[in-house]
Amino acid sequence: MASTTITNAPNPNRRALLATGFALAYVVVAVLALILVDRNSLWYPLYNVFAYSMYVLSPILIISLPIPNPIKFGGLAILLLIVTPMLGIYNNSYMEIAVQICIFAGLALGLNIVVGFAGLLDLGYVAFFAVGAYLWAVFTSTSETVFKLNGWLVPGEMFWVFLVIGVFIAAFVGILLGLPVLRLRGDYLAIVTLGFGEVIRILARNANDPINITNGAQGLIGIGKPPVPDLLHGITNEAIRIMSLRVDNPGFVAQQLLFYLIAVGLLVLIIVISRRLEDSPIGRAWTAIREDEVAAKAMGVPLVRMKLAAFATGASFGGAIGVLYAAKQAFVDPTSFVLLQSIIILAMVIVGGMGSIRGVILGAIAMTLLNLHVLTNLSLQLNALRNVNFIVPIIDFPIRNWPNQLEPAKYQPLIFGLVLVLMMIFRPEGLMPAERRKLELKAEREESAGLDEQAAPQPKGDA
Amino acid sequence: MSTTATVQDRPVAPKANTLELVQQSWIYRFLLFPIGQMLIFIAGATILLTVIAYAIAIAFPAPNPNIDLVTQINRQLPGMIISGVSIGFVYSMIALGYTLVYGVLQFINFAHSELFMVGSATGFVVMKALEDNGVLKEWNPILMILFMLVCAMTVSGILAMLMERIAYRPLRGAPRLVPLITAIGISFFLIDFVRAGFAITRNEFNLTYPVRSLEMFATPVRVAIGETTVNVRTTSIMIIISAVIMLVILNYIVNGTKLGRGIRAVAQDQTMSGLLGVNVNLMISLTFLIGGAFGGAAGMLFGMNVGTITPYVGFLPGLKAFTAAVLGGIGNITGALLGGLTIGIVEAFLNGVLVYYPALGQRYTDILTFSVLILILIFRPTGILGKRVDEKV
Amino acid sequence: MGAILTVTNLVKSFGGIAAVRDVSVNVEEGSISSIIGPNGAGKTTLFNLLTGIYKPDSGSIMFNGQSLVGKRPDQVNKAGMSRTFQNIRLFPSMTVIENVMVGMHSRLKISLFDAIVRTKKFYEQEAHVVEKAHRLLKFVGIDEHANEISRNLPYGDQRRIEVARALASDPKLVLLDEPTAGMNPQESTEAMNLFRKIRDELGVTVVLIEHDMRVVMGISEYIAVLDYGQKISEGTPNDVRNDPRVIEAYLGRRTTSTEAAQ
Repeated sequence: MASTTITNAPNPNRRALLATGFALAYVVVAVLALILVDRNSLWYPLYNVFAYSMYVLSPILIISLPIPNPIKFGGLAILLLIVTPMLGIYNNSYMEIAVQICIFAGLALGLNIVVGFAGLLDLGYVAFFAVGAYLWAVFTSTSETVFKLNGWLVPGEMFWVFLVIGVFIAAFVGILLGLPVLRLRGDYLAIVTLGFGEVIRILARNANDPINITNGAQGLIGIGKPPVPDLLHGITNEAIRIMSLRVDNPGFVAQQLLFYLIAVGLLVLIIVISRRLEDSPIGRAWTAIREDEVAAKAMGVPLVRMKLAAFATGASFGGAIGVLYAAKQAFVDPTSFVLLQSIIILAMVIVGGMGSIRGVILGAIAMTLLNLHVLTNLSLQLNALRNVNFIVPIIDFPIRNWPNQLEPAKYQPLIFGLVLVLMMIFRPEGLMPAERRKLELKAEREESAGLDEQAAPQPKGDA
Repeated sequence: MSTTATVQDRPVAPKANTLELVQQSWIYRFLLFPIGQMLIFIAGATILLTVIAYAIAIAFPAPNPNIDLVTQINRQLPGMIISGVSIGFVYSMIALGYTLVYGVLQFINFAHSELFMVGSATGFVVMKALEDNGVLKEWNPILMILFMLVCAMTVSGILAMLMERIAYRPLRGAPRLVPLITAIGISFFLIDFVRAGFAITRNEFNLTYPVRSLEMFATPVRVAIGETTVNVRTTSIMIIISAVIMLVILNYIVNGTKLGRGIRAVAQDQTMSGLLGVNVNLMISLTFLIGGAFGGAAGMLFGMNVGTITPYVGFLPGLKAFTAAVLGGIGNITGALLGGLTIGIVEAFLNGVLVYYPALGQRYTDILTFSVLILILIFRPTGILGKRVDEKV
Repeated sequence: MGAILTVTNLVKSFGGIAAVRDVSVNVEEGSISSIIGPNGAGKTTLFNLLTGIYKPDSGSIMFNGQSLVGKRPDQVNKAGMSRTFQNIRLFPSMTVIENVMVGMHSRLKISLFDAIVRTKKFYEQEAHVVEKAHRLLKFVGIDEHANEISRNLPYGDQRRIEVARALASDPKLVLLDEPTAGMNPQESTEAMNLFRKIRDELGVTVVLIEHDMRVVMGISEYIAVLDYGQKISEGTPNDVRNDPRVIEAYLGRRTTSTEAAQ
């Protein structure tokens, strides 16, 4: 993407300027598109699909453009810490989606360590997410579990402690599950991890009798939240005043804002850890295992230990995110941890590009948008059109006759299944493949040497 | 089913004695031997489990003092055996699909459980159509079952072939995980597609076979054993008979025909078979066709047996059948058959006995299957009958 | 100098077919030795047994004073025995230098903590790793390609990367599996010089599996000949050249080779 603009630009400064200008214009247009619209108009849901998707993709755009680093990260910080919260206060559903994107991006990056870096297909990743979520849930839920009956509940302030405990418990579970199975060949490992994922879910569903730990299929309600600091209340109220909004429950908005900030913070931490691991002897060992297990072990890479490290790291991300998820949703039940959830996370990793951190984030954004924003809004649009008895011109089709069952929001598994199949057949390396960075570097080097630009230049030996 | 070693055509020895002549005869190779093998296995497995069941009953009395476990087991035993064997055959037939495809492509067709589901959905559609047209009660029940079987097998078989052609063939030679992920995608796609189809056309996706409206299936057969009479479900008997016939036919196809030889050749060495004039793509397609047809048949029989199915019906039987295939050594046809029977019978016994221990409860039997799968894969990934293969370097 | 590697009565069979039968070999420290024999004689199987990729059915492997039987490949590597592969097995999408850096794995002190927190120790070690990798790439003569993706390099260079990667773990002994396969005479002469350099400059004992008799006779001080999994001859190049059993194994094979291939 970048290289086509590169070739024509003789001056790198001009190129950077152009890129910065473009990114700025993009963000401004996207924000204006979100604000300057009548939310009650008939076509708002469809419009919203495009407008908010455009906005949400802007971080990826900024990262991908050749903008000088200080401006790039400064811009990202403003975007994530000021613009997005403001938009979220302006329209709460934006905040909700932004938090969900951060949560899923964190999960996808955790799975990426296992699948993308180490090449181990884990179909039960959601189990670690469940461990984290249930950990916080059982200790704070108001449901009638043994924890409540025995007075073992902890206050919301303990959230931060449990975030850390969640990391370690999930990592421990990861090691526990990984230890016996990591010797298995790839496809067997996939099936066994799937089995583990289901076992954890079935345990969560059934562990309400004879001792009620998880409250079974009814799930746990009233899960604790971290208290909102006064500063954040102040900031929220100020923001509401500046934008002169009418908000019924500013406390709730502040709470949402807190979750958003925690989610962004966790995500940034996960990104940094992923990057550092990738660029370390551990990351190299993972790549080696992924590419040729036999050669890797013959070169002194201890397979089981390195695979366990991948499993534990991936699991720990899942555990931390799980704690956050439980607190944010205030409710968990076994249906949040079904196989489909693992598959959706896998789809994020695959769509973006296994092993590519940037790609996986893009995948998480795209899939979460699709799941929670695009499909939902299309359904809303359909209903809106139905309500005004809209008739499609030219073919004279009254929307009212559109079957109720054909609502887009009901077709998650179909869509995610199709996404997986199509990606595997047509673009198995993902939208933003991991090797790209290396190839980009190489292409840039050759350009600077005055060579012609090629998609995948073949080495000509020693010319 | 015989292992390939015993079936290979040997040159007729000059001094062939009667036993050898019998062993080479068609009837022995394709009828007596495979059926005998199944019978011996079933008998052995049930005797062993019966002993275990009584041992448990005596060693651990049921928590409820009013229940005498031994008499309960006395009463239930024949039913447990029949239902175990019938569900075991269903698992076997699904497991065959996993194993056949694995044999030729070394690839776990994760979407195979959905061929089973499509088969059971097809069975429902056909039976419902027969009922709606009022011919259900007029037709000869055996003819009807046959017709439903053929429909389910055709639909699932062709679907399997399409699946291979569209989604797997372009990926041949790709890293192992790529087709596996594709298969998962197909699986979710198919489940939702079928759900949507029924949701739109019927406004619900709980599909109830009109089995009850048939006299033959509505009332169980009463069999008197000593003083107790035992109710045996007709559908169980139907499953057992159909499965045995189909498995005998499969054994003949794989071990007695040119087609089977082609498939076995491709399983051994794709490149070499291709060089020697075997149409590799055709053989792979046909393998999917056969595997899919068996999955479809299993689905239809399963649907008749349980009465009501949903588009999500494939997952658990599929996983259990996969466990069966792994248990028997994936790629090994006899292994898949015996693995399926084992899991079916064990499951029936577990369900029969665990009912009396509410604290453990039946709700954990599914976890048990997973645990068995995990344990086999960890300790003996080549299965009970499979041979150990060292990694080729 | 004494023996660095002593293999005694090693046996390995696959499904009833013996691939290595009762093979005993001694490798002197600081020597260049070769294992030769017709295709399918069990040479690569022997390497796989030595490096822990296969487990021997029986027999012992003593290396540098410790038994290697039952050790995992990474433990063997750590003990000081490294190898290359007959059909090159680089990590294809990694760069040349990254390949070599992976080869150093068993010599590194790595913890998740160091990698995540980026301690001073981590930076020092990484700097050392990069410097050493470049040194090895210079040694085999492909340092100018250090940052290229390894699969994009020509065949001969890929063989060199494999050698550099094998040397990265500071081995006492390297096993080179057909390192000159597919090379033209000039390239294989260069390769021979490289093997001598490995022994002379790095002091690493070298064991080759080789088909090119010019290479074998040119640099080996000791040769063991395998046929059908058995050692049929051993000694200096001259001894082996004149051994009637070796001649029979190579020439006699011609008549049966077509049947054996079936």
